[in-house]
Amino acid sequence: MNSAVKALVPATGPLLQIDGVSVSFGSAQVLKDVSFQIAAGEIVGIAGESGSGKSTICRSAMGLLPSTAEVSGSIRLGERSLLTLGEAEWSGIRGREMGMIFQNPASHLDPLRRVGSQIAQPMIRHLGLSRKEAMERAVALLDDVGIREPAMRAKSYPHELSGGMKQRVMIAAAISCAPKLLIADEPTTALDVTVQAKILELLKDLNARRGLGIVLISHDLGVLADICSRIVIMRQGEIVEQGQTAQIVEDPRHPYTQLLVNSQPGRKKLRSGWGKPGVQEPLLQVDGLTVSFPVKRNILDMLRNRTPGRFKALDGIGLAVQAGETVGIVGESGSGKSTLARTIIRQNTPAAGTVRLDGRDIGGLSGAELSAYRRNVQMVFQNPYDSLNPRMTAIETIAEPIWRHGLADRRTAGEEAARLLDMVELPRALGERKPRQLSGGQCQRVGIARALALKPRLLIADEITSALDVTTQAQILELLARLQRERELTLLYISHDLSVVSSFCQRVYVFRNGRIVETGAAQEVLTRPREAYTQELVASLHRLPGGSAAMAETQAGA
Amino acid sequence: MQIVLKRILQLVFVLLGICVVTFLLVHMVPGDPARVIAGDRANPETIEAIRKSFGLDQPLWQQFVTYAGNLLSGDIGQSMRYKRPVTALIGQFIWPTLFLTGYVICLAVPPALALAIASARKPGGLADQIIRIVGIAGMAIPVFWLGIMMSRFFGVALGWFPVSGYGKTFVDHLHHLFLPALSTAIWMVPVLIQSLRAALIEKAGADFVTAARAQGAGEREIFWRTILPNAVLPTLNLFGVIIAFLIGGTIIVETVYAVPGLGSLMINALLARDYHVVQGLTLMFAVTTVGVTFVVDLLSALIDPRARL
Repeated sequence: MNSAVKALVPATGPLLQIDGVSVSFGSAQVLKDVSFQIAAGEIVGIAGESGSGKSTICRSAMGLLPSTAEVSGSIRLGERSLLTLGEAEWSGIRGREMGMIFQNPASHLDPLRRVGSQIAQPMIRHLGLSRKEAMERAVALLDDVGIREPAMRAKSYPHELSGGMKQRVMIAAAISCAPKLLIADEPTTALDVTVQAKILELLKDLNARRGLGIVLISHDLGVLADICSRIVIMRQGEIVEQGQTAQIVEDPRHPYTQLLVNSQPGRKKLRSGWGKPGVQEPLLQVDGLTVSFPVKRNILDMLRNRTPGRFKALDGIGLAVQAGETVGIVGESGSGKSTLARTIIRQNTPAAGTVRLDGRDIGGLSGAELSAYRRNVQMVFQNPYDSLNPRMTAIETIAEPIWRHGLADRRTAGEEAARLLDMVELPRALGERKPRQLSGGQCQRVGIARALALKPRLLIADEITSALDVTTQAQILELLARLQRERELTLLYISHDLSVVSSFCQRVYVFRNGRIVETGAAQEVLTRPREAYTQELVASLHRLPGGSAAMAETQAGA
Repeated sequence: MQIVLKRILQLVFVLLGICVVTFLLVHMVPGDPARVIAGDRANPETIEAIRKSFGLDQPLWQQFVTYAGNLLSGDIGQSMRYKRPVTALIGQFIWPTLFLTGYVICLAVPPALALAIASARKPGGLADQIIRIVGIAGMAIPVFWLGIMMSRFFGVALGWFPVSGYGKTFVDHLHHLFLPALSTAIWMVPVLIQSLRAALIEKAGADFVTAARAQGAGEREIFWRTILPNAVLPTLNLFGVIIAFLIGGTIIVETVYAVPGLGSLMINALLARDYHVVQGLTLMFAVTTVGVTFVVDLLSALIDPRARL
């Protein structure tokens, strides 16, 4: 497909040419001598982790950097040099000749205006259309980007749309004036995987139909490998490698690219679990668990004596975890996987059903028994920063549960916390730091150490790597696998990412809308999904070519 | 329009609560209300007569039913001092207060808007610093002191404005109420600026502003069409609270400038222990507050679709 598009491109030189661009904020240099180019109709991927400068380079191409940024080098769109433009000239180019879409569509749409008018606005501005004409075209564009009932949806406000629909609206607005270039800054990161697959499909389609050149920024090499013809790898403000997709993925030359490729989830089979063979009493047993939340009702309903509906976050869930197992829970947002975790740690009260640990129902626990239960079941949370007290140092954070549960006095607890730091591979010097002085991965290690401080038997990990870079994610998973063997942990690993779960867990439960749709051995579910929904999930995975082969190899070796 | 219906229904309950509270107000007066109404030197027969004539010998719930019934027919009692219905009194004294409130709004809103925008355009810049320092001074000076000083300087020393009263014609009103309105506005403007400035700065950094820029919108268009509408909501709510407060609470200013408005009426009624007037005024202030809040809610819903839930 890409070669076909390329053939249409006249040989007049690249669409966007970036030459030796450096950007600094005061004394901090965030981009160093970045050069690459995009031909018309091409999809180029920029991969890199947070802080690599991949967003900065695209924002400099759109002139969207804050005024404190000092930019040097040259950026040319066609024949025109962009860096010397004034504000008015920029306005004439942005949205007209190049458009941009962003990571979080929810926050990038004006909450006060109907989406139709937000799509129409650039056309009124740039093409001089009347409001009526522009609105008609906006409806046609909504149809183009795959929104059903476009005429009705054009009248909706952003908060009435789902995340995927909002991103479609952003795309419609960005391509409304038929620009030649679209810059997509992590356009699918905030979306569920099945939605992500559809948005990427749309981008591919727009590229093929309209010859739209796309710069796709992503931290996910798998996504880029799937739709880009060329990939640029960035690290710490520099381009470390760029080349054809096949070369980058199959024959990475730079060590960092190799690390990135190898860190992709599913590349490496981690040896987790230590369970003894044979049937035994499950450690955790969940039966017919239903958790519901009241739907907000208003005064009119009250007067009409309507009983408020209850939203079932979990609907009759049953699962069992053997001691020593690593069990994965997979599902998209709203599937109830976090509700399950919160119910197990007794933060939600079930409407029906039981949770049993070692055969004992946890619903009736109180006093000393409840404390003992809390010591046995610990949880690590999704957001490493938010789940740590910002006013406490790492050591204090880890030591707190130890002395609070009366397992040691404060001084001994501190010593124990220092040992836990070693265990999660954090230098002891970092123990005196507060969360904001630590990186996301380091914070998550502190979170794990805190959870392990009470020597739990069951550890619940709720999306613990989804806020982390892919190389950090690989390290954390490796750490978790090692700790599990050493400390005889049973793991309940919750994630939206099927490839992480299937490479890390022995068994998987697939959740959807509060129910279990499929369960089975991890490899089995990944390679031979039975249910339609699981098949859709598996199909939306973006795996690097050769990934499964590498996986099979390590498995054979293990 | 379901929201209007919903809010009105909520209002009914709030108003009912207000009725109960104002009703109990008279009963919460220390001692026997009949004795209080009759005065210190009344003999027992008079007190008994008053008790009967006011229905105070009936059980509490019956008294409330009578009271609520009277309210529904627009009767909120009789002033002891003026010997007139409280409604008539309020009807007479409300106009200067409403005029003053409107005057304050006209004097306060345009400069507040302009200065907040000037301030938020370059946070930390020279204009911003000056506006903030002067604003803090304006808020820190007590209204009564400012009122007295201004009335002495502009009223007595220079003789530009009258120091008391309300006047007869519209232009007269404007002339008479200028100083009271100004001294209130001087306190109100900085409050509004602070709220609007903070919201403007916050919204100027919002993601949807970046997105608008990426779609080619000019800075002017972005400010008027995107930043300002998004920033105005918190200030609108604050503004509603201030307006309700002004209608019920210009007591200081009205007293200092001897404006014959509700504030003066309240003070006099309190001093004269004219409890029915106090009760009526309390009821009116409460209803006004509820009404203003209602209007602000509707306006918010008009601006923000998310508030229509």
